[in-house]
Amino acid sequence: MALSSIDISTEYIGEIVESSTSQFTSESRELNGAPPFGSFVKTLGALPVYGLVFNVCTHSIEPNRRATAYGLTEQELREEQPQIFELLKTEFEAVIIGYGDDRGPQQVLPPQPPGIHSFVFPCTESEIKALTNSGDFLRSILCGNRLPADDLIIASVRNAWAARALDMPYLVSIGKDLCRLIRDDYDRLSSIMRRISQ
Amino acid sequence: MNDLWNNLNGSPNIQDDGEIGVVTQGSLTEGVEMKLNPDRSVEDVKAGKFVVIEGYKNQFFSMITDLSLDATNPEILLYPPREGDQLLHSVLNGASTYVTVALRPMLMLEQGEEIVDEPRPVKTIPSHFSKVVEAEEEDVSRVFGSEEKDDRFFNMGTPLDMDTPVCINLNRFVERSNGIFGKTGTGKSFLTRLVLCGLIKNKKAVNLIFDMHNEYGFRAMKEGGQGNSFVKGLKQLFGNQVALFSLDPESSRQRGIQPDHEVYITYDQVAVEDVIALQDELQLNPTASESAYLVYAMYKDRWLRQLLSIDGPDVEQFADDIGANKSSLSALHRKLKRLETFPFMVNSLNGADAVDTMMDYIDRGIHIVLEFGRQTGMLAYLLVANILSRRIHEQYVTKSEKFYASQNPEDQPRHLVITIEEAHKFLNPATARQTIFGTIAREMRKYYVSLLVVDQRPSGIDEEVLSQLGTKITALLNDEKDIQGVLTGVSNASGLRSVLASLDSKQQALVFGHAVPMPVVIKTRDYDEIFYKAMGDLSDEEKMEKAEAASAAIFGD
Repeated sequence: MALSSIDISTEYIGEIVESSTSQFTSESRELNGAPPFGSFVKTLGALPVYGLVFNVCTHSIEPNRRATAYGLTEQELREEQPQIFELLKTEFEAVIIGYGDDRGPQQVLPPQPPGIHSFVFPCTESEIKALTNSGDFLRSILCGNRLPADDLIIASVRNAWAARALDMPYLVSIGKDLCRLIRDDYDRLSSIMRRISQ
Repeated sequence: MNDLWNNLNGSPNIQDDGEIGVVTQGSLTEGVEMKLNPDRSVEDVKAGKFVVIEGYKNQFFSMITDLSLDATNPEILLYPPREGDQLLHSVLNGASTYVTVALRPMLMLEQGEEIVDEPRPVKTIPSHFSKVVEAEEEDVSRVFGSEEKDDRFFNMGTPLDMDTPVCINLNRFVERSNGIFGKTGTGKSFLTRLVLCGLIKNKKAVNLIFDMHNEYGFRAMKEGGQGNSFVKGLKQLFGNQVALFSLDPESSRQRGIQPDHEVYITYDQVAVEDVIALQDELQLNPTASESAYLVYAMYKDRWLRQLLSIDGPDVEQFADDIGANKSSLSALHRKLKRLETFPFMVNSLNGADAVDTMMDYIDRGIHIVLEFGRQTGMLAYLLVANILSRRIHEQYVTKSEKFYASQNPEDQPRHLVITIEEAHKFLNPATARQTIFGTIAREMRKYYVSLLVVDQRPSGIDEEVLSQLGTKITALLNDEKDIQGVLTGVSNASGLRSVLASLDSKQQALVFGHAVPMPVVIKTRDYDEIFYKAMGDLSDEEKMEKAEAASAAIFGD
């Protein structure tokens, strides 16, 4: 997708603050405004990089200070202590599942990690379809470190399925891929499939 | 959710290119295994179905012999998906739970090759993941030939779920003795009639049919039929190409049939071998043949007449005279007395000898149906079939030898096919070595005579004879011994066994052996008006038209 077609100043949802070949961390543009768990995101650079959000956290901007409990509702806090919200930030982590080149999204790790301070955007429906047309993205999830694999699979497949207007044959074919990837772990498969289709 | 499922099940995105699966493993001796495509229902794949494996260089024409349900994980079998869980069902189908189909390659052809004469046996197996497709119409005619191509081919029916005719090669069929088997009520008589029609129509051999139940000559009951429950017999279909002989003319007349000839047998025509063949039926002692030969040594051809002419106490005196054992001879005498009750047994003939008349017909290429009328007892059947066949065979041996000596094509005898029912009575291990039918079955076509054996109990037939049968056409058999018997002399019989046991009880038969390139399950051709027409029979209106045209030609309008 061409950079010019996006209004960078208004549509981005985060900015990368930590980056590696397999994962990146972004700071959300707004407090508590991170993309949902399991959603597909992308960075725009020389090569767009695609990721899957697997962790969202909100904490103090100072590494050594923690937020304190005030015993007030958020509304009361915003009225009485508005400054404390300025001292908090929301970050989200994404596992990289592919990158884009002139042929479109590829389901392999990018040659270079996304640049620090790159903006992060949500993926469009057609990008989600391209990234999830086979079960290869499930393999990235299953092979990643410290990922909540089952829940991430459930959330991401639900998104991919929704992008296809809840097309049943698609869900069945992804289920078959998953079945092979988890080596016929029947309990796990039935639990995942049940939760996806709930 | 239900709508989504309807969508899934109603319009699957499957291209139906006939592919039913891919080859996954196998061996030359055990056959090949195929994994069924998940989009195919296992219930559509039937044992006996004719399929083609598309190898890289060859096409393997194969038969489905077995089907099995498999799962990669035994846990699935312990905790099957719940009934309503269609998603999990669909996911597991083809991935963790799958159907394996056992295939038996029967015939191998290079891509595009035609069968020349001798079909090639399978000497290799297709490679991994070769596509298995349903046989198409042209595959069937490529393998089995078609009636249009050649008069060698005769349409017997169609493969399961297909409409292309499967033909047997009649030239090869008459080269050997053949068998038609099946449990009672599975359509043996129909199959036999079909084969006989083929032989008569294409003029491949002259037939002599020992028609025990009067069902080949002139109309027969159609089992389970409604309304018009009679079918046409050979005489009706082929007119004067078929001659009707009767052992019981009175019965024939009662059924409204005028036989062409009546058959009588004189006592002098009964040889000792003919009596020995009745060992089981008459419950003769093992010493009976010795006693009979002693009488024969003294009186030659008149032995039976002589023996039966003696009464009661004189038998012992007679035994003394010829040096036979008294009790043995009187037992033989007692038992042979039964022959006197047959109306067709006479002391002397009024007209021509039945065998001479038959030979005359056979030489002219006219087929003979011998009706037994009410003489349906096994004893009469065995006796008459034995006597007539033995004498005809003798004449054939003389004729063949004359031909071998002169090598004059005019002397070449016509090929004769003798049809016998209840064949296990003639060909059981105890008598097959002694009766004429055992000899014919073994010496094959050396003397231009072969058998068409019709039987419901193939396990009762001598193994040596069974293994020599060229083509076997088998309707359903249940008994394990019978199945084993039919498959005697067939290599790689294990696959055919399951096919044989799973045939429908009507109108289905497995054909294998010399006359077909590969075993095949067929739905037999309907024996109806269309068939009559194909055999050259005319409907009543057409007969009238033809007669009118003929009379117009002779007498003018």
